[in-house]
Amino acid sequence: MSPVVLDGRTLDVAQLAAISAGAQVTLDDEAAARMRASVELYQQHGHTDVVRQKWAWIVGGTPPIDRDTAIRVFIEGHCAGVGEPLPIAVVRATMASRANVLATGFSGCRPDAARALVAMLNAHITPVVPAEGSVGAAGCTSLAHIARVVCGYGGEAYVSGERVPAVEALRKLETAFCPTEKEALSLINGSTLAAATAALAVDAAARYLRAADAAAALSLEVCRADLNSFAPEAHEARGHAGPAKVAARLRDQVRGSELVAEGRKPDSFAIRCTPAVHGAAWDALAYVRSVVDTELNAAVDNPLVFESGVVEAGNFHGAAVGLAMDHLKVALAQVATIADRRIYRLTYGELSGLPSFLVPGTGVNSGLMLAQYTAASLTSECRGLAQPASVQAIPTVQHHEDHVPMATLAARTAARVADLLADVVAIELLCAAQGLDLRLDGDTVGGNLTIPAGRPGIGTRATWQTVRVLVDRWIEDRVLHTDLAALGTAVREGRFG
Amino acid sequence: MSQSSSTIQLDGQSLTLADVVAVARLGARPRLAEHARLEMGRSHDWVMRAASGDLRDATGAPLPVYGVNTGYGSLARKRIELSDIRALSSNLIRSHAAGVGPEVDSEVVRAMMLLRANALAKGASGCRPLLVDTLCAMLEAGVIPAVPSQGSCGSSGDLAPLAHLGLVLFDGPEEASGHARLGGERMTGKAAMEQAGIERLSPGPKEGLAVTNGAQLTCAITALACHDADALVHDAEIAAALSWEALRGVTRALHPAVHQLRPFPGAIASAASLRRMLSGSSLVDSDADKVQDAYSLRCAPIVLGAVRDALEYVRSQVLVELNAVTDNPVILVDTEPANKAYSAGLFHGEPIGFAADHLKLAMSELAALSERRTYRLTTSSLSAMVASLPDVMPQTTAAALVATCRQLSLPASADSIPTCEDQEDFVAMSTTAARRASEVLVHARRVVAIETVVAARSLQRIRQAAPDTVFGPAAAAVLPLMEGAEARVPADLIDFVDTQLRNRTFAHALERRAP
Repeated sequence: MSPVVLDGRTLDVAQLAAISAGAQVTLDDEAAARMRASVELYQQHGHTDVVRQKWAWIVGGTPPIDRDTAIRVFIEGHCAGVGEPLPIAVVRATMASRANVLATGFSGCRPDAARALVAMLNAHITPVVPAEGSVGAAGCTSLAHIARVVCGYGGEAYVSGERVPAVEALRKLETAFCPTEKEALSLINGSTLAAATAALAVDAAARYLRAADAAAALSLEVCRADLNSFAPEAHEARGHAGPAKVAARLRDQVRGSELVAEGRKPDSFAIRCTPAVHGAAWDALAYVRSVVDTELNAAVDNPLVFESGVVEAGNFHGAAVGLAMDHLKVALAQVATIADRRIYRLTYGELSGLPSFLVPGTGVNSGLMLAQYTAASLTSECRGLAQPASVQAIPTVQHHEDHVPMATLAARTAARVADLLADVVAIELLCAAQGLDLRLDGDTVGGNLTIPAGRPGIGTRATWQTVRVLVDRWIEDRVLHTDLAALGTAVREGRFG
Repeated sequence: MSQSSSTIQLDGQSLTLADVVAVARLGARPRLAEHARLEMGRSHDWVMRAASGDLRDATGAPLPVYGVNTGYGSLARKRIELSDIRALSSNLIRSHAAGVGPEVDSEVVRAMMLLRANALAKGASGCRPLLVDTLCAMLEAGVIPAVPSQGSCGSSGDLAPLAHLGLVLFDGPEEASGHARLGGERMTGKAAMEQAGIERLSPGPKEGLAVTNGAQLTCAITALACHDADALVHDAEIAAALSWEALRGVTRALHPAVHQLRPFPGAIASAASLRRMLSGSSLVDSDADKVQDAYSLRCAPIVLGAVRDALEYVRSQVLVELNAVTDNPVILVDTEPANKAYSAGLFHGEPIGFAADHLKLAMSELAALSERRTYRLTTSSLSAMVASLPDVMPQTTAAALVATCRQLSLPASADSIPTCEDQEDFVAMSTTAARRASEVLVHARRVVAIETVVAARSLQRIRQAAPDTVFGPAAAAVLPLMEGAEARVPADLIDFVDTQLRNRTFAHALERRAP
């Protein structure tokens, strides 16, 4: 795979996800030229002592006289994170995203500043960054922990998974990086951890929503759904893009099915309204993705350098990403709630027309009873985490930074909700595949139950086959966790939909 | 874990919070009390008669006893053949091992095992004393089952987490034996039990239920969190006392007569604790112009007092649950009717879920109050002190932590999702409440660590400027312990103090100084 080019203009969620997973990175030549030009402008406008200014802003008084010491103390003083280290993937995404911010060319930083981050990414040197402490605005503590390593001041880094002192890790690199005052500030000023976390959440959410659509289609088969609910006319008449797309996808998945049919009696909402709910989530994701893509290529820094002069604005403030992430987690939580209700139907004998908990027998087997409990528990967790973080604001930094967005919290909880959704979707896949097995058998499952048999659609059959490669049909009770773990991994890897 | 030679007798009636901590963290050894063994035997005998078909209903059919010769949950209407009764228990464990997500800490699993053993020791669950003996042996040998943290609704109890324990405890093929840690190494449950020389049990009638039914994971997490929260309240008072001195607070807000006028026990205790910690300080009450302080100081005994009162409620709930029977049905051998099995809802996690939700609310407020004092300390116009960069930035960290606590402190118990074909139509979500409580506690401790760091550094500067400053007992105990700690990188200092809080270093130093 060719390296991802950071040009300050075209970085997207998929590229950032690739970098987080280990892809190589390079700085665009034009972006480098813009960066050099912004350094000249910055000097022409007569600005150089920005650390001194920020020092006065934050604490009053003046920093140490010696410039390099002042810069070092400034960055180290911002290293106030606590808690367990962030995952390497998140730190890599943050580093790349920050390099791309500098590459927009409004920061008055030399290309060297971006290249210092790029060199570490390519050498797989990842600073150890405590997970807690970022409010998603201005001087970001998490970025400071990265900058501390980039500048070789100290701290620790992972090198091929091993945690070593930063100074030792940096020996792998050809050149050391010594920041200017503006570079010191620009390395740490902005809601980039929130943006990077958000980008990875968007990437994961798209995978899990695709899997959720595939799982729902499988449930349609098992529940012998009325296809009328997915009629294109209905969804065109309402006009939302997402629901129309999901309805079309569901119809496509069940094409060729003998199980679903037009004109049966209307299904319950968890089946019938799947396009409305999943579709609304896809629309939410599209909005969220556009916000995140914009942020990834934005001058999330302060002050900013233009030909007309140097501007102090609030571009570091993470409100846009925070709001989007709060929206994403609500959308994903709602998909979990409707998936849980479909799982409930699948496992509820009276509602599905199949044996209770999808296992024929005498009650000696509990079948997939607990799978739905787990789905309910995870769904409830999603609901709790879906409460907005952005509405919180706690004054910080001596009345100066008196409104902060808590965007990092919003992004992190969105990522957590997405992760919980992956397991809920895995459970629906497990239950629906089991239900389909019973449908394929028809009434031969025994007992006094009559199960109309039928073939599924082409798309749903493929989904069912993927499930069956990973887990066997449930005949006798076995360790359910093993199945959930296998399918959960597959959903996370994007093997469905 | 340091080894402790202490032995704790389990009888389902006398387990304390200190016992839980001793077993979970210090390696104390639980043992089934002899009188409890006899009591367990009586209910077990009755279950064995029911399971053997010995007991009959009016029609002459085997007496239906839930979970002994019926299916589980909504499958209770299905009767189980005598020959399938053992398979019923094995199947329950395997099909209920439905947890997902990161694994629970070893100390929590230890506490969960202990609570389960004690619940069975009460003798109303109809299982063999051997079950308790085996759980005790696993604890002693350090066989700690791998228990995924997610997936329990807390009703009917923590089924999935306890079933993961059951995979290790009960016999069956290696691939269905779950996983366990032994001496820090992870292996299959079967291998761990073999290495420890403990025989896995073939589950008897009702024994699957007896192991899985009840909110022991919820209670284990909540019990340990409750213990840690007690410590944190004290440490938060120490931090508040340091801030009180640095901000030259007015101690009239702590006067005992004041708190007698609104006599909440927690507030009275907090005010007294703060008074002791500040006695003799030359800094407090030294600003003649100041008649009263901002809320974060003046209302500290009220807010921390409310936290203390909340913890008292949480502790009382936990104490009941520590010695409660939590499975279903319960076997009451001394009652009149021929059917001694009583189906009820003792497994439901709500009583502990409420407590856990309340605990996290209390810890979240403790953190929020502490953060406001840190803000005061680092804001020159409020503190009349010069701010420094390595103090200002941790305040931002504290703000982020408080926002996280606030989000987590939304009640989990308020949620419920119907399960099991509407048979279990109202569930507790207590496990989520407990997990969030312990998460909030960890964040809250970091917030208190940050206040301690910032207040102590302020006091160091005050003493540098005025060497004849006299500190109260709290500051006098804490400051020497922070001398020499690297301060340039705030994260390092916060981490150092957080470790001291976890080890209770400051509290012990204060105790030595002012017992």
